[in-house]
Amino acid sequence: MNLNMMPLGLLAPGEKALIAEVRTRPGATARETDDESAGRLEELGLRIGKEVEMLSRGSGPLLLRVDESRIALARGLAMNIWVWR
Amino acid sequence: MSKEAQAQGVPAQTAAAEKPALHAVTKRPITIAVAGNPNAGKSTLINAIAGSRLHVGNWPGVTVERKEAQFEFSGQKIRLVDLPGTYSLSPYTQEEIIARDYLVYQKPDLVINVVDATNLERNLYLSVQLLELGIPMVMALNIYDEAEAKGFRIDVPGMEKLLGIKVIPTAATKNRGIKELLAAALGVAAAPAQHQPRQLSYGPDIDQAEATLRANLAAKYPEVSQRFPARWLSFKLMEGDEELQRELNLDPQALPREAALEHLRRAHGEDLEALMADARYALASGLTREVLRRPELRKTEITEKIDRIVLNRFLGIPIFLGAMWLMFKLTFDVATPFADWLDALIAGPFMRWTAAGLGLLGAPDWTLSLAVDGVLSGVGFVLVFVPVIFAMMFFITFLEGSGYMARAAFVMDRAMHAIGLHGKSFIPMLLSFGCNVPGIYATRTLENPRDKALTALLLPLMSCGARLPVYVLFAAVFFAAHAGTVIWSLYVLGIALAILMGVIFKKTLFRGEAPMFIMELPPYRLPSLRNLLIHTWEKGKHFLIKAGTYILAVSVLVWFLLNLPWGVEHKRDSYLGKTGAAIAPVFEPLGFGNWEAASSLITGIIAKEIVVGTMGEIYAPGALAAEESEGPAPTFGEDLIEIGGGFVDALQGAGLNIVSTFGVASLAAEDESAGTPLQSAVRGAFTPLSAYAFMAFVLLYMPCVVVAIAMRQEFGSWKWFGVAFAYQSVLAWTVALIIYQGGSLLGLGG
Repeated sequence: MNLNMMPLGLLAPGEKALIAEVRTRPGATARETDDESAGRLEELGLRIGKEVEMLSRGSGPLLLRVDESRIALARGLAMNIWVWR
Repeated sequence: MSKEAQAQGVPAQTAAAEKPALHAVTKRPITIAVAGNPNAGKSTLINAIAGSRLHVGNWPGVTVERKEAQFEFSGQKIRLVDLPGTYSLSPYTQEEIIARDYLVYQKPDLVINVVDATNLERNLYLSVQLLELGIPMVMALNIYDEAEAKGFRIDVPGMEKLLGIKVIPTAATKNRGIKELLAAALGVAAAPAQHQPRQLSYGPDIDQAEATLRANLAAKYPEVSQRFPARWLSFKLMEGDEELQRELNLDPQALPREAALEHLRRAHGEDLEALMADARYALASGLTREVLRRPELRKTEITEKIDRIVLNRFLGIPIFLGAMWLMFKLTFDVATPFADWLDALIAGPFMRWTAAGLGLLGAPDWTLSLAVDGVLSGVGFVLVFVPVIFAMMFFITFLEGSGYMARAAFVMDRAMHAIGLHGKSFIPMLLSFGCNVPGIYATRTLENPRDKALTALLLPLMSCGARLPVYVLFAAVFFAAHAGTVIWSLYVLGIALAILMGVIFKKTLFRGEAPMFIMELPPYRLPSLRNLLIHTWEKGKHFLIKAGTYILAVSVLVWFLLNLPWGVEHKRDSYLGKTGAAIAPVFEPLGFGNWEAASSLITGIIAKEIVVGTMGEIYAPGALAAEESEGPAPTFGEDLIEIGGGFVDALQGAGLNIVSTFGVASLAAEDESAGTPLQSAVRGAFTPLSAYAFMAFVLLYMPCVVVAIAMRQEFGSWKWFGVAFAYQSVLAWTVALIIYQGGSLLGLGG
């Protein structure tokens, strides 16, 4: 199953994938996905089972499409979200 | 079950109290709370409903904006309360807690849930939670026009049936559906009992656990279960909402909870909060699938096309800088002719009329001096900048409303990391160019306390509109040919120092990683003029209020300090002059060690534009005499004609400035009249170099009192203001020293 699981942050522009897992751990530093960020992710629709599309990946934050909205996301956060491709 | 729930859901007391009201519904104002996601067009809708009747205040104890309006619609008094925009009702952010507390404790008659029709699923997540509260609800399916344009087909009657509420398509930007929405709201409010929202099923397990818990609660804590919406209360206890338990004084051990939840825990794991969130999301998602038909092929939307260019890794930053430059350029082009007109108005007819009026009343000479030199000079010099401030607020509002502001945050994210912040901090900083105070309040959108504090510390270095009067005065006198460039250089100086201080703070006070950037980029929209004007007014009126209160009071105070002890011969011997003279040596190495400059800087602590007002009172008390000696005073009628003509000229000038390409005609034009008494006095007291050092000092020295109060409110202590005060004082002195001494060494001192 892990074969086609990868961090969201590595999707190529135009690729779509399903969110498999959002990694959080207690006492996480800001580099990890802390609970607060996880809550924000959920509110913006980034939750398990959801289809996301990578719109662009430049040097700054990533741009994703989730449903009808466009979400800008720090790369570090995107690396903690795992997707099935 | 739903009937039963209704009976229990309406607390006995309220039911009794409401009975007479039912017959007399037209007498009693009905209270409507407006709830919805951020970016769902809620404030546009509220403006469309209430417009100028809107009253803006704060929620008690916090600085979250509270909008309210009272008006009549088909004979019924309505009180409209705007709740903060939230994505959910979980008690995690200030906004969520405010919205939830209002709904639960204030018990509005009705909720209007504003839903973005182009983004149903996420918006319905909040709607599902609102329905749990059992408050009668009407849904405004807003931005319906865009949803239609995208080819979305929404089954509105189906939605009404599934949710058991009225659903009204609206397009607030075009004023569509507003009347229908209000009419539906009145219908529901007239017969709340027939419009209880449906209780959605969360699946057999949760429904069963909830029913058991509710029955247990009603048996054990009857008074508590009557005070709250029954279903909501049991859900909250299931989720283990600690705040609510504390508030109700419930003993968690004695709660009849465990037995009811045992099966749920066994079947779904320990984290019931997550289980509930999933259940709600599944509902929102299921509802969306039921009612929404999307077109098979998605057209590449305009938003995507624009973003492809605007967010491009190479073009993004140049486009952003260009947009900023254009904003400043337009601000000054539009506003300067009006500023000139106001200036002429105050210095000419107003002063003449005041003098004539007081003369007629036979008032003593000193009152004339107080009115003209104190109030009119002080407030007048500042009021002249109202057009500039409003123009800048207008363009900032446009950037916010169009959706570009979020892109600016995106584009600047990388650059902001250099100073230990992320792109979102950029928005408060940008707002600070208008006024630092809204900038401080905007730090609220940052989730993390570290970000908030660091952003608030750096943002006073963004040159606000209040500092502009000082620059304009000095630039016109000393750098007339390059006024625009000199003023621009001060803005750049502020930004450069903010970057420097950011790097220093990141290595000292704020060690650790910059937190993560998550932000929604709303679709581009063309804000309506009406909306722009309302929001511009809301932002700009603080400046007017400041001019009418603080600055008026300080002007009077300064006048007294300059004229006391009574009968003082020379301003230098007045109280203010003596204080100024006492601290002047501190400014000696900076090139402006005279009592006039020092006194102005003291008064500038209240608000920086007062520096100019005070200088006006010190240097140019003879302004009136100078005006009068020019010739026979014009009649009242001539004055009026001149005022009207001047306004038309200003309109024309603003138009021409926009059309004409560049060459900051507006500011350069001012220097011809090098003769105003204040300008010539300043020319004598400063050199170009010391003038520049003085402007830099005004840019950097401590934030004004209003910012201090805002920081205190936002952070709950004086700590961060103290830090800002300390570092800015040192910074201002050092930078002015480097400019003056460095410049002198380079031979620019002349």
